[in-house]
Amino acid sequence: MLNQPASVAEPFDALDSLSSAALDKWWIRRLRKVFTLAAERLPFYRDRFRAAGFDPARFRTLDDLRAVPISNKSDLLAIQRKTRSHNLGIEFEADAPQATVTLSLSSGTSGTTFITHTRTWTKMQGRSSCRAHWWAGLRAGSPLLMSAPAWHSYAAIQPFIAMHFGMPCVVVSGTYLPRFADRVVDAIVRFRPRFVTMFLPMVFSILATARHQGIDGDRLFASVQTLVVTGAPITPGMRQHLRRLSGVARVAEIAGSSENLLAVDCERAEGLHVVPDTCHVEVIDRATGRAAAEMERGSMVHTSVIPAGSVYLRYDGGDAGVINREPCACGLPSPRIKLLGRWEDSFTIGPHVLLPYDVQLAIEEEVPELSGAACVITREGLARGTLRVLLAEPEHAAASLLDGARAALSRRFGVPVEVVGVLDLPLRFKGVPPILSEQEAASQL
Amino acid sequence: MPALKTNLGKYPFYRERLRADGRPEPWTISELESFASSHPGDPYAGRTDPAMAAAVSLQIEATGEPPVWIALNSAELGQWAGAVARMWTRWGTARGETIAFFEYGSSPIVLLASSGYVAYLRRGAAERAGLTAICNDGVATMAARMVSIVEAVRPSMLVLRRELVTPFAAALESSATSLANRVRWIALGEVEGAPARDEADRVSATFGVPVHRILRCDAAFLLAGDCPGCGAFHLDRLYRAETLASHEVAVTARFARLCPAVRYNIGPAELLESGCALAPRAQRIRC
Repeated sequence: MLNQPASVAEPFDALDSLSSAALDKWWIRRLRKVFTLAAERLPFYRDRFRAAGFDPARFRTLDDLRAVPISNKSDLLAIQRKTRSHNLGIEFEADAPQATVTLSLSSGTSGTTFITHTRTWTKMQGRSSCRAHWWAGLRAGSPLLMSAPAWHSYAAIQPFIAMHFGMPCVVVSGTYLPRFADRVVDAIVRFRPRFVTMFLPMVFSILATARHQGIDGDRLFASVQTLVVTGAPITPGMRQHLRRLSGVARVAEIAGSSENLLAVDCERAEGLHVVPDTCHVEVIDRATGRAAAEMERGSMVHTSVIPAGSVYLRYDGGDAGVINREPCACGLPSPRIKLLGRWEDSFTIGPHVLLPYDVQLAIEEEVPELSGAACVITREGLARGTLRVLLAEPEHAAASLLDGARAALSRRFGVPVEVVGVLDLPLRFKGVPPILSEQEAASQL
Repeated sequence: MPALKTNLGKYPFYRERLRADGRPEPWTISELESFASSHPGDPYAGRTDPAMAAAVSLQIEATGEPPVWIALNSAELGQWAGAVARMWTRWGTARGETIAFFEYGSSPIVLLASSGYVAYLRRGAAERAGLTAICNDGVATMAARMVSIVEAVRPSMLVLRRELVTPFAAALESSATSLANRVRWIALGEVEGAPARDEADRVSATFGVPVHRILRCDAAFLLAGDCPGCGAFHLDRLYRAETLASHEVAVTARFARLCPAVRYNIGPAELLESGCALAPRAQRIRC
């Protein structure tokens, strides 16, 4: 128990109360089992393990993960193109005659692969996702708003969560796009959920729609004790901004991918705990392929520990992030990670490789009054080595704020910076500044 | 299934339209919306028994401001899913095939497909028919992804939202992908009511695939498919239809007890009693 300074106030089950050393042992057993089954039954992994000389029987410590080949979306897309089939050789039970299968779609924008959900997967992932939601503050006794019925991987476990906690299920018509925000407002006002999960850009659309109806954020979210945002990494300033706008005491973050990466804030909100019965996570230095140092930025590589449905082993989903193995004061044993964005959205300026998250964070740290303001990083600026940011000016913002932001960002990054105030930007740009040409930015208004 | 025997007087919406014979006057979706506007505190517009808890509440897409909701329990979800499975089976399915939905996941025909799509549904329509299900949501900008689904997943059946016909056809054309000889049927759906037969014929010509029409009225828990034999919509045994003096047709969902749907007026239509060779006892609606 040396690594376990505190005990968990409300453990979901005994797994939450392990020491971090015991959790590592638990992970080793689960990983060995998954690797063994994969080598026996999944052609994609059997071939890759053989080519890499990896023998699951020799997997004894987490350091042995280095022997397991890393795969990514391109590997899977190549197989899909070659075989012209969604079955990629990574699926357990997919062809079993009695299997009850649904398919969902992969994360990211670099091509679509398909994820197989079997009944066994639903049970195992469902229970693990219940743990994640428990950590985020979900408790029985309130309705559950379905946030992405049917098409999204998250939808594949929401029914399980509702039934596990005995929660009535509320299904909003349409889909989770801004034009349906009035429908979501109606659902929240009428059914008074205590726990709401929402894609980050949608939160702002909902708040704007409610405001248009004369309902302020405090009133809209009056029943809500936890607002969970997902789909984009939030900065501390954005968390504060959401708290202020919604009046919700706890704004939590869930990071996940359709390929079974899952991590969630505890109440401390100092990083997202890896959900251990979903996956094990490493952060890999992009240059060396070795484990990145603690809190040093690298590629997020995760391994599913659920031997059912589509299985992603040492999968690099294209996310950048950091890992923190220091014990958390909440007592949960699993390490904390923070996803910072996708590498495909990174850009080079001066000596830096930056993510839009870095710009968002820098703005709020340097000029807190601009926390939560929507902004765009322009391609034109990057092309000439300048960080040019279009920023929707908050009401009553003084011009000196923008000047201050420009000077501070220039100092911080050591590159030329332009910060240009604009009257308005789409709400979906809040929280995750996109990189666009100025024409694209203007056309989206 | 026995006829619905419920004291409708305990439901505010029905109470004010009950006749001396204990049956309510037929009603339309606009009347439901009017009731909802004058009773804004009740999401179900006076159609549920407060003593009974809903397992699932579903917002009716066709209703305006404020939206009206329907409520179901687990058994009702299962019965409704059974009707959907029988509709697909009549059109032709084979175990092990895949059905793809290019429609919002919140649409009943999608939700009812799988126990993985909505809580408290024990066996969805796809599970009953032995089908794999995949949904692409109902957004036109995702048309390219629909083509990826066609190419990699190879669904034998497609459920297509009417407004996605044009973007889907354009996406197929730009990738030189054909549905002919690949897809057994397409089911074309509308938010409320049914697409016209001639429109379905045009869509069929566009895709080179037989197109069936879906009659959808969420307020009445109604999903019915047209018949490849007689062309009319066959009503599942879960429903009972009647002709109104106004030459319209009203439908009752006999399985809906938590949120009764009694005498929902679907509008101008012709009710055909039994007689189709493919389902001799089925009531049919031509509209």
